[in-house]
Amino acid sequence: MTSWLVELGQSTAALLMAPALVGLIRWLKARLQNRCGAPIWQPYFELHKLFAKEAVVSTNASWLFRAAPYVVFTSTVAITLVVPLMLVPLPFDGFADLLVVVYLLLLGTFFTALAGLDPGSPFGGMGSSRGMTVAALAEPTVAVAIFALASGAGSTNLGHIASRLIASPMAALTPGHLLAFASLFIVMLAEAGRLPIDNPATHLELTMIHEAMVLEYSGRYLALVEWASAVKLLIFFCLLANLFVPWGIATTVSAPALVLAAAALVIKLGMLCVAVAVLETRVAKLRLFRVPELLSVSFVLALLAVTSSFVLR
Amino acid sequence: MMAGGLFSQLSVLGSSLALVFGLFVLWRRSLGAYVSAFAWQSGVVAGVAAMVAHFSGDHALYLVAALVFGIKAIAIPRLLTVMGRRFGGDRESHPYVNTEASVLSAAVLVLVAYSVTRPVVALSQLPTRGAIPLAMGLTFVSLFVVISRKKALTQIIGFLMLENSIALLAVLCTYGIPLIVEIGVFLDALMGFLVMQVFVYRIHETFESLDVEQLRHLKH
Amino acid sequence: MNAGGAEIWLRILLVAFPIGAVAALVVRGALGRAIVAAAAAVGSAAGFALAAMVLGWGEPVRGSFAFPLAPLVFRLDPLGAFFLVVTAIVGFAASLYSFGYGAGSPWRVLRTTGVNLNLLLLGLSLQVMADSPLTFLLVWELMSLAAYFLVLAEPDEPGAVNAATWYFGVTHAGFAALFAMFFLWSGGALTASFVELRAVPLDGALRDAVFLLALVGFGTKAGIIPLHIWLPRAHPVAPSHASALMSGVVLKMGVYGLVRVTFDLLGSGPAWWGMLVLALGTVSALLGVLYALMQHDLKRLLAYHSIENIGIIFMGLGAALLFRTYDLPLLSALALAAALYHTLNHACFKALLFLGAGAVVRATHTRNIEELGGLIRRMPRTAFAFLIGSAAISTLPPLNGFASEWLLFQSLLGGARIPAQSVAVLMPVGVGLLALSSGLAAACFVKAFGITFLAIPRSPHAEAAEEAPRSMQAGMFLLVAACVGLGLGPAFVVPLLGRLIARLPGLEPAIGLHAANGALTGLPDGLGQMSPPAVALGLVAVAVVVAVVLRALAPPFRLRRGATWGCGRLLQTPRMQYTATSFAEPLRRVFAQLYRPTEDLTVEVHPDSEYFVRAIRYESRVHPWVERLLYQPLLAMVRGAGRRVRQMQAGSVHLYLAYMCAALVVLLFVARWLP
Repeated sequence: MTSWLVELGQSTAALLMAPALVGLIRWLKARLQNRCGAPIWQPYFELHKLFAKEAVVSTNASWLFRAAPYVVFTSTVAITLVVPLMLVPLPFDGFADLLVVVYLLLLGTFFTALAGLDPGSPFGGMGSSRGMTVAALAEPTVAVAIFALASGAGSTNLGHIASRLIASPMAALTPGHLLAFASLFIVMLAEAGRLPIDNPATHLELTMIHEAMVLEYSGRYLALVEWASAVKLLIFFCLLANLFVPWGIATTVSAPALVLAAAALVIKLGMLCVAVAVLETRVAKLRLFRVPELLSVSFVLALLAVTSSFVLR
Repeated sequence: MMAGGLFSQLSVLGSSLALVFGLFVLWRRSLGAYVSAFAWQSGVVAGVAAMVAHFSGDHALYLVAALVFGIKAIAIPRLLTVMGRRFGGDRESHPYVNTEASVLSAAVLVLVAYSVTRPVVALSQLPTRGAIPLAMGLTFVSLFVVISRKKALTQIIGFLMLENSIALLAVLCTYGIPLIVEIGVFLDALMGFLVMQVFVYRIHETFESLDVEQLRHLKH
Repeated sequence: MNAGGAEIWLRILLVAFPIGAVAALVVRGALGRAIVAAAAAVGSAAGFALAAMVLGWGEPVRGSFAFPLAPLVFRLDPLGAFFLVVTAIVGFAASLYSFGYGAGSPWRVLRTTGVNLNLLLLGLSLQVMADSPLTFLLVWELMSLAAYFLVLAEPDEPGAVNAATWYFGVTHAGFAALFAMFFLWSGGALTASFVELRAVPLDGALRDAVFLLALVGFGTKAGIIPLHIWLPRAHPVAPSHASALMSGVVLKMGVYGLVRVTFDLLGSGPAWWGMLVLALGTVSALLGVLYALMQHDLKRLLAYHSIENIGIIFMGLGAALLFRTYDLPLLSALALAAALYHTLNHACFKALLFLGAGAVVRATHTRNIEELGGLIRRMPRTAFAFLIGSAAISTLPPLNGFASEWLLFQSLLGGARIPAQSVAVLMPVGVGLLALSSGLAAACFVKAFGITFLAIPRSPHAEAAEEAPRSMQAGMFLLVAACVGLGLGPAFVVPLLGRLIARLPGLEPAIGLHAANGALTGLPDGLGQMSPPAVALGLVAVAVVVAVVLRALAPPFRLRRGATWGCGRLLQTPRMQYTATSFAEPLRRVFAQLYRPTEDLTVEVHPDSEYFVRAIRYESRVHPWVERLLYQPLLAMVRGAGRRVRQMQAGSVHLYLAYMCAALVVLLFVARWLP
């Protein structure tokens, strides 16, 4: 029973922490670019404002446009229930594994893309087309990376993978692991819409993918969509952190272990934010037609991860 | 056994990094990226040699590592940058095989390397045997770079990476070759490099570009 | 344990379909349509009941009919019953649908469709019961002919005759391969039952020959690349419920045949069998979805997706064959279960999509997506059904496409256990390509659903569309329920599949495929676990919580309708929306070396000045090069051979008499000199 409460608690905490992650990355980028930057809590103020505003919906849009933000938000939040955040093994671990997580994310992308086409705006169509291209091309890398993780841990269930790694720490330094981390990092950039694949801060026609799909949203809908994309970023960070560097995660439900786990999670997320902020400041956005090249490199890295773990068996 | 485990992990890690830098050359298009990839790769090969020296106790390999680092990670990249600046730093914008296909072919070549070296890995008792397929894969990838790219400078870099991969293979398979042989191989590569430098200068003078395909126009 | 109960259902089935066929010829008007539909529905329901009985108690049911020239032997075992379930579900939905679909069609179309629909359903139901090569081949031919006439049912459709000719040719090439296979195997005794065939000892080369002939013969029916050439032509031109049946069930008869021959009758084989089937499956999955992306004919898009899904099923079959060769029976059973499950799921969601497409085509009189749009408001229920079908085929949880694809992933992940490393290394490649094909399928269906149903209508046809009649909706919603049910109920389906696979020789451990309390276990010793009902429940619970919290904490929700913002534009016309071609353009660029599209740009300038452009014409075509490479040389060869043979028929009576004399002389010599 207590583990269920911890589960729900950590999921709520993740939901509430997600906008701060986005705010931290923005603040770090601003500092690196010699600007003052908005405070880390800025996204919370934005969400608060958006929830109070009136939503304007296009006359061309149908019920799908109005339902899509809820579908995306719900599916993303549901994923936080099965991702290892602070406690392993999770009570919901047997209900969903890594493949379910990946395809639930695809569910969100599917509905966002449909909602981009609904108002009949060319920006939305463009965003949907590019967004689905990137999502489709990132799928093989994720699948092969899952193969690498699962063949090492013997199962695709997330709690299993994390527990197995805690039990044998040397396995984290295997080249297979590191290569899988590199390939999943690139996929994270693609799926969460960060540079060099997509620029989350732009509304220029040539440079937006995710922003184009949600261009017509306003008010509560926009708040839900923005929050959902922040939670998606958090989910990817947690997967990268806790499936590859799981030390600090609590294995028992006890107050000191959970506090340590929370602190470890915050530190790991912070480090990932710094890495992403530095990367985003350092590189320029890739042309859309150069993105498949990057994704094919990540696919080959994942394939190398699997083959090197085969040979070392 | 822990040290043995760490040794093999580190050797596989080093070889994977060298291979990844090789893939980098297939992905990027500018000469500057190629030169830095080559420099880092030489650094990694030097690191692997130093590590093998540490774990196997063969101190001559430290000298080899220093040589590799000095010549291939510092001197030659500097020379290549100078050459690039002199000849206009052409970008590899239309290679014979496009980028995604090159990268995927590299993956296939690595799989081929795995199956080709399977008997060697099975028979070998060395802790570094897990890294041998990766070094073999780097050899194939370097050859692929030489074949599929159009610009002369890229081909030179491919040749130098090939030499890197052979050095890596030597270090992994036999814990290094006798110092005399190693120095001989280095001098050979250096001579080849200097000769190629003369050729690049000539090609640029005649055709105003470094596209190796232009050499076709020499025949009548 | 009531064989009599099974007998009754079989009799109903054997009576209902012929009644429907006869009624289609005799009774006109709405009454005729009603009788035809009812007969087909009753027959399908009887088939379902029969299959359920056989699956339930797990023992086969026999029967035989002594026809004058050839004894026909029938036997329905659980494997056949599973495929009968597939036929029954799709047949029932298609029958309901046919009632409303036929309203307004001319009498000759209705007649052909009605007769052949019933005959096709009869053939499909009997196919899985055939127990001797003769019976099998006879019913196969009945099925192929019925499908051929269905393709020709609307001869005014552009490309219908061409499609029917291709279908006829390829199907009979497959028939020839099957005939050769059975002939070789049984040594000429085509009336031997399958049980006797199983006992025939075959040595290495003969077994390989039988396997290859089976692959070719059943592959032509299943539509695997490179034997798929008829599929994208035939499925779009048939009436939509016929397309649904063809895509949903007829293709699966190829799968049934291959499973029956390689898993049940032939026994274990070398590794290259599995690798060949796996490779063909992977190529079909990828090329099928890649060509589907470039289509803007709604039904041809769905036909190419059928090729993709057949490829996925073949990947499962290939993996199962490989695991069986390497003596991993549990993994083999898992892969086979995934393939069979996907067979059922694909039948349901593909039939649903075809029925939806048929409703759209009937309402707007065009198959071209580029002329559609905005149908979600004019045909809301059809749109909802099509959305569920699209989500199912894009393998989104918690629907049925995801459940079977998850099982397939788990079985391929088990490929790490294959001892032969050079084979094991191909498994991750297969996993990656499977994921790529499912991602591309999602992209393709965003395009198909989004351009067809969303935003503004792009032509007057689309503006004038009306919702489909209730019988058509009933057929579609039955399949929606099937998709959702199969997605949430793998805990029910997987043990069933385990029991039926355990009857196959060498796969007895399949009994171990169980599901623990609503969860879908990959393997008994745990390779992964998930529970679709729990996922669905979780999604619903989170949705409810979110709604409640928003209602309680957030400021009151206000909504206003306005024009599309589009970054501050003032005008919105239908021409400003994205088209299907432009949606697929990034993917076309990425895979340009595979597609090799041809582009033609003609710019007409004003005669006085070349700076003033009068007209621009852009034409782009993606022609499947598989057809160009393989089939055009083949066609040229056939035409050349035909020309040469024609020279023999010079028209002279004396020449023909001379031929006859020569044949007589040669026969006499042969009879004299042969011992």
